[in-house]
Amino acid sequence: MSDSKIVDARDTFCPGPLMELITHMKRSNVGDTLELLSTDEGSGADVPEWVNKVGHEIISNEKIDGVWHIKIRKAK
Amino acid sequence: MRILVVGGGTGGTIVANNLARRLSAEIRARKVRLTMLSASDKHMYQPGLLYVAFGQMTPDQLYRDQASLLEGSIDFHVDPVEQFHLDQNKVITKSGKTYEYDILVMATGSRIVPEEIPGMAEGAETFYTEASAVKMFKRLREIQEGTVAVVVGVPHKCPIAPVELVFGLHDYFKARGIRDKIKIKYHYPIGRIHTIKEVAIWAEPEFKRMGIEYETLFNVSEVDVENKVVRSEEGTETPYEMLIAIPPHRGMEVIEQNNLGEGGWIPTDRFKLTMNGHDNVYVVGDTTNLPVSKTGSAAHFEAEVVSENIASIIKIGTPVRDYDGKVYCFIETGHDSATYAMFNYQNPPDLKPPSKPMHWFKMAYNQMYWTSVRGLL
Amino acid sequence: MTTQTETPLDAMPNEDLQRLVEFAQLVTAGRDAMSDEIVTRLAGAMSEGLNLLDRLTRNEGLMHLLKVLDRQDTQYLLIALSDAIHAASQEIPAAPPATGGLGCMLRVARDPGTQEGLRLLSVFGKHLSHSMREQHRRGG
Repeated sequence: MSDSKIVDARDTFCPGPLMELITHMKRSNVGDTLELLSTDEGSGADVPEWVNKVGHEIISNEKIDGVWHIKIRKAK
Repeated sequence: MRILVVGGGTGGTIVANNLARRLSAEIRARKVRLTMLSASDKHMYQPGLLYVAFGQMTPDQLYRDQASLLEGSIDFHVDPVEQFHLDQNKVITKSGKTYEYDILVMATGSRIVPEEIPGMAEGAETFYTEASAVKMFKRLREIQEGTVAVVVGVPHKCPIAPVELVFGLHDYFKARGIRDKIKIKYHYPIGRIHTIKEVAIWAEPEFKRMGIEYETLFNVSEVDVENKVVRSEEGTETPYEMLIAIPPHRGMEVIEQNNLGEGGWIPTDRFKLTMNGHDNVYVVGDTTNLPVSKTGSAAHFEAEVVSENIASIIKIGTPVRDYDGKVYCFIETGHDSATYAMFNYQNPPDLKPPSKPMHWFKMAYNQMYWTSVRGLL
Repeated sequence: MTTQTETPLDAMPNEDLQRLVEFAQLVTAGRDAMSDEIVTRLAGAMSEGLNLLDRLTRNEGLMHLLKVLDRQDTQYLLIALSDAIHAASQEIPAAPPATGGLGCMLRVARDPGTQEGLRLLSVFGKHLSHSMREQHRRGG
């Protein structure tokens, strides 16, 4: 299994953490893991909503020192 | 000291002109040589493409001669770079020439890649190139009834474009007197109608007021050209009479071919704007991999920082300031109104209510753009 | 919270109120008259004006020329030149055309006016030649 690729979208508002994640997901291979870093309050809910609707996997979702660390596996 | 700017768009032109002004004495004394390489002899005002798509501007109004925008002290060549040899501080161009440099500025921009989504290139209109914008206008003129569907690829330059597009469509069909016969359906990839929260909150009641239907969490997976249906990863689909797409983007091919960045996006330091691992290479505009909106505005502010730092490095040996993530974007809200979104790494956007004077400011800016790329504004 | 400058509308004299209303009407009329095209043309003209001004002010030759033109002696010389051209333009058409041949040449050479003119040309030529050598020596 490959190492997590970090997507650092802290302190950005446009296009924002979720769009950054989508951009990186598109370039990844099935099975790859990405870790999104976000300071956006809503990421904790927005990101899993998208991941689940599209059909990928949330591995972990935690907030450390005001920063969301969300690990996602590309499932398809 | 040889400074080479690759790319003659907004970012590249501002860097080159600013440097030419700041280092005019050094250039005259032949201590500094400033060169620009571009793939085109023309400079396009890209925000004008949306106006072309609605018949409000003609394509010729989008262009100026690049040479006319540059300071005389800049050595400008229409000769695109094909090979980058960063470890040897040189590039090789299409004509076979080698340009060695001490400082390199990458400003190559981005391109649309609708072919990444099956059927999109064949089945969808877009306004991201001159030819496609003209074609889109002609179709808008001809359509009589049915659904006009708008879909958005990721990533794309100008994040506000989808919203401006639907407001424009609403106004256009109203003016044609057929708004009641046209259904406008807007699709967006995430769980709200725009990635900027403040824009989504403000726009939703506007969409309702204008009768614009929308579906969120719609990630385009394919366009069925024959049956005129657009489908999503999530398994939903929308039939359409006319489909308008904001296609996904990648950095320029030459960046990918030279392995400078995945997807053509060059890994860049978000404050220093230097390329990761290459302190003498600066990156501005769309081609960075920064999570900053791909806009002319970002390119402009980044270019100001980069040119100031390169000049100060030459004059006093150190850079003087960081890029703070600043972006300032107009938002045309239709009906001769506009507002703007301004933000940086620390401060979120704070939308003011749309107003007519703001719309005039945008109209004025369409002209002032040419003065700003000359380094005067 | 009110400041000292705020006045309730009904306490305002009618004239002032009338003027305020007229001003508001003027602003509204201005806003209504403004169109995209007007704004575009105005902004375009201003931008081009700014570009031109920038070019002109950074043109060293032009700035130097303006400084030279500002000097009184330069102005007097220009006026003298203009006067001379004017006088010549009156005199030449009135004079009979040259008949040609050595005789006419000798007659013209004897004329004090001609000798003055030749002297001027010779002195002027001497200084211009000196100037050119100076410029060339300095790397012009």
